[in-house]
Amino acid sequence: MLENWLEQLRRGTLELAVFLSVADGPRYGLEIIRHLEEFTDLVLTEGTIYPLLSRLARDGFLTSEWVAGEAPHPRKYYRLTPAGRGRLNNMCREFQVFTSKIERLMKAAGRHL
Amino acid sequence: MKLTDSGESRIRGYLYVFERSLRHFLSPAVSADAVREVESHIRDAVAQAGDVPDEHAALEQILNRLGPPMRVAQAYSLELVMDEAAVTGRLTSVLRSLFHAAMTGMIAFFTAFGLFVGYAMGIAFIIVAIMKPIIPNNTGWWTTPDGVFVSSGVNFPGAREGLVFHTTYWIIPVALLVGMLLLLVTHALARRWIIWFRNRRTWRPAFEAGPAA
Repeated sequence: MLENWLEQLRRGTLELAVFLSVADGPRYGLEIIRHLEEFTDLVLTEGTIYPLLSRLARDGFLTSEWVAGEAPHPRKYYRLTPAGRGRLNNMCREFQVFTSKIERLMKAAGRHL
Repeated sequence: MKLTDSGESRIRGYLYVFERSLRHFLSPAVSADAVREVESHIRDAVAQAGDVPDEHAALEQILNRLGPPMRVAQAYSLELVMDEAAVTGRLTSVLRSLFHAAMTGMIAFFTAFGLFVGYAMGIAFIIVAIMKPIIPNNTGWWTTPDGVFVSSGVNFPGAREGLVFHTTYWIIPVALLVGMLLLLVTHALARRWIIWFRNRRTWRPAFEAGPAA
């Protein structure tokens, strides 16, 4: 049951985490995954990050570009669009408000736990 | 890690299954781009692995972390086909989305099943309208002698024991109208449900780790 709840949490925050991964500059797929792995445990199956990146690009929040020459094979880099940056700012703000409310609730309940 | 021929074959095998799985749902251009990106991922992961004593084990670990090719393809298809269905409302995209969604859980399965039944009933009514001029004596509706409706459609033989067979040609416009209405309403509901389902962002495949094929 706890695993299901954690899964829901991951689902809800993965998009925000991907936006944050490309907030400071373009990154390619595996680079985004490694960045997420460094800070979170959101990615359990690496291959399914790509459909998410693909959707965010189609929705206009990311742009993608194939870059050849820096490795023996081409890499597809993703970067935030202005619309993506706006969405990221909104998501960060809402997420902080949300977590602060839950923290307050936990503190209030903490006296009785 | 420098791959041997056997390692290269394993990667080609993975990409082959992935590409074949995508081909059913995506256009060749989109599919090729997805395959290229996944291949790039594997090559990068192989390069990052450095020198390892057991190439086979290292490669299997990389592919396991990536996920089974059919599962990754399913996640791609679900996202793309649902986008297309939500935006264009194209019948083939909507039906494909329903098919995909049906495999994600029990509630989704029964919702999709109900919508498929709606489509099937709409088509059945239209077939009745088409069949009436072709086999008029077998197409109509049946009532009890008291006039209670029992069923309608095409039946061989037309007459059924204990029932009154009505063969009027009014069934053509009525069946056409009912069939079209059923299809329109079912399609509108299906599209709405897909949009809702898409917004829920059902990322079940993203969190189901399993061995690569």
